[in-house]
Amino acid sequence: MSTFLSALFSGVSSGAIYSLVALGLVIVWRGAGIVNFAQMGQAMFSTYIASTLIVNGYSYWVGFIVAILAGAVVGALMDLLVMRPLSNKKRTELLSSESMRAAVPVIASLGILGVLQALAGIIWAAEERGFPSPVARDGLTLGGTVMPFTLYDFFVIGVVLVTLTVTTLFFKKTGMGLAMRATALNQEVAKLSGIRTNHARTLSWAISGAASSLAGLLIAPSSTLSPNSLDLVLIIGFTAAVVGGLNSPVGAVIGGLIVGLVMSFVNFYMTPEDVILSILVLLLIVLIVKPRGIFSGKDSRRV
Amino acid sequence: MLKVDNLITRFGHVVALDSVSISAAESKITTVIGANGAGKSTLLRTISGLEKPASGAITWQGESIVGLRPEEIVRRGIAHVPEGHAVISELTVEENIEMGALFRRRKFKSDVPKAIDEAYQLFPRLLERRSQLAGTLSGGERQMLAISRALVSRPKLLLLDEPSLGLAPLVVEQIIDTINTLCRSTGLTVLLVEQNANTALGVADHGVLLALGKVVADRPAAELKADAALRAAYLGY
Repeated sequence: MSTFLSALFSGVSSGAIYSLVALGLVIVWRGAGIVNFAQMGQAMFSTYIASTLIVNGYSYWVGFIVAILAGAVVGALMDLLVMRPLSNKKRTELLSSESMRAAVPVIASLGILGVLQALAGIIWAAEERGFPSPVARDGLTLGGTVMPFTLYDFFVIGVVLVTLTVTTLFFKKTGMGLAMRATALNQEVAKLSGIRTNHARTLSWAISGAASSLAGLLIAPSSTLSPNSLDLVLIIGFTAAVVGGLNSPVGAVIGGLIVGLVMSFVNFYMTPEDVILSILVLLLIVLIVKPRGIFSGKDSRRV
Repeated sequence: MLKVDNLITRFGHVVALDSVSISAAESKITTVIGANGAGKSTLLRTISGLEKPASGAITWQGESIVGLRPEEIVRRGIAHVPEGHAVISELTVEENIEMGALFRRRKFKSDVPKAIDEAYQLFPRLLERRSQLAGTLSGGERQMLAISRALVSRPKLLLLDEPSLGLAPLVVEQIIDTINTLCRSTGLTVLLVEQNANTALGVADHGVLLALGKVVADRPAAELKADAALRAAYLGY
């Protein structure tokens, strides 16, 4: 029973983080039609910024907030410096076929990932380093018995819940949120309605960058930080996004939880070596059985 | 007043608009008729900035608007309702209407709710369905929604692309009547593209006949309507 509860709690807590990663991917996918492979590179970079601040005596929270803002800035810059100029290049200049043109920004994002990892290596050296946690990561004790969850689990789940609520309210209740949804759904009608779709798209990149940086910060205490430390998280988050249907923010959150739980139960009941395998198997099953994901609308593109 | 001069728009090697010159007089309905593929939609899409012309001039209230983005052209008072009941199906009726007024929400804060109310008064059926997704509406309701979305931007010029497409005659009549009333009562300038020439010429002040990207006739609507030879040659009835 205690193994079950431990698996459940650790699954929900890590799943919450994967939800954020998946949400970041979904926001850029909806806003710009790109799977952003650089996303966790951006998150790694922000986490290093936080680490540097904390090592130099600033509080955890200063590092936390600066890192999230840095994530937003790097996301916006990626759009302004790379993605927007690429999409302004018309068919004749770049590549002629539709599918090749869709591939160009994805390849560019892989390039950016490489640049960010190399830069991090140059600035901070490529060795692994630890990352502090704002609260205790030992099992909580209740009435003398050690519980199968930690204060840090609650911290993670709380932060993610707040983030998801704020994001949902932003998209549903504000004019800017409506402008971003309209841009994601139908660019032509959005433009004709006077929405500056370029701005909306840049904002998608910024929000996605902030969300994934938050994910990076939340993961870091449970692992080590190195230029490549979040590569695997991208694959897990991508699986979560695909499970939920790349188009659906709600799907991303649920996909994240499913992936977190699957990984956690495999880890506790089978062997840790099978965890990655289980994710790839899950990805394959979803792609074969329901290639459009569990929550995506009917017109979404196949992955 | 809108003036289009020697406008040429190309898609690759296909010339969709071949030196088109037209104008739309203030507070009047001007209609552009012609068969499928005559370039009617391309004309509206070039005016609203969705397509870039190869050459030619588009002047609106004395200023050139060629090369401006669609989202800037709307801000100058030109609203385009494209072909095919262009609404966003995944958003609610209310959100679709709000969307059209988003860019005015800071500068004209108090006017936005007023503009939205007026749209609901014009099409009360939309008010009943305000919280439904636009995708669940009938074709006629979607057209009303697309027009409302355009109207809440408080345009001075309305570009309407085939509002009658795929709709029942009664609904077409209702929509055309509404546009006519709007033009006569508020002084809205309308540029109406239609394949349904009879309906369009019936309500318009001025008519332009387009064929294969060229203007073949540019006359008062009543005259154009009466020209049996022209009708037979270009519209097939």
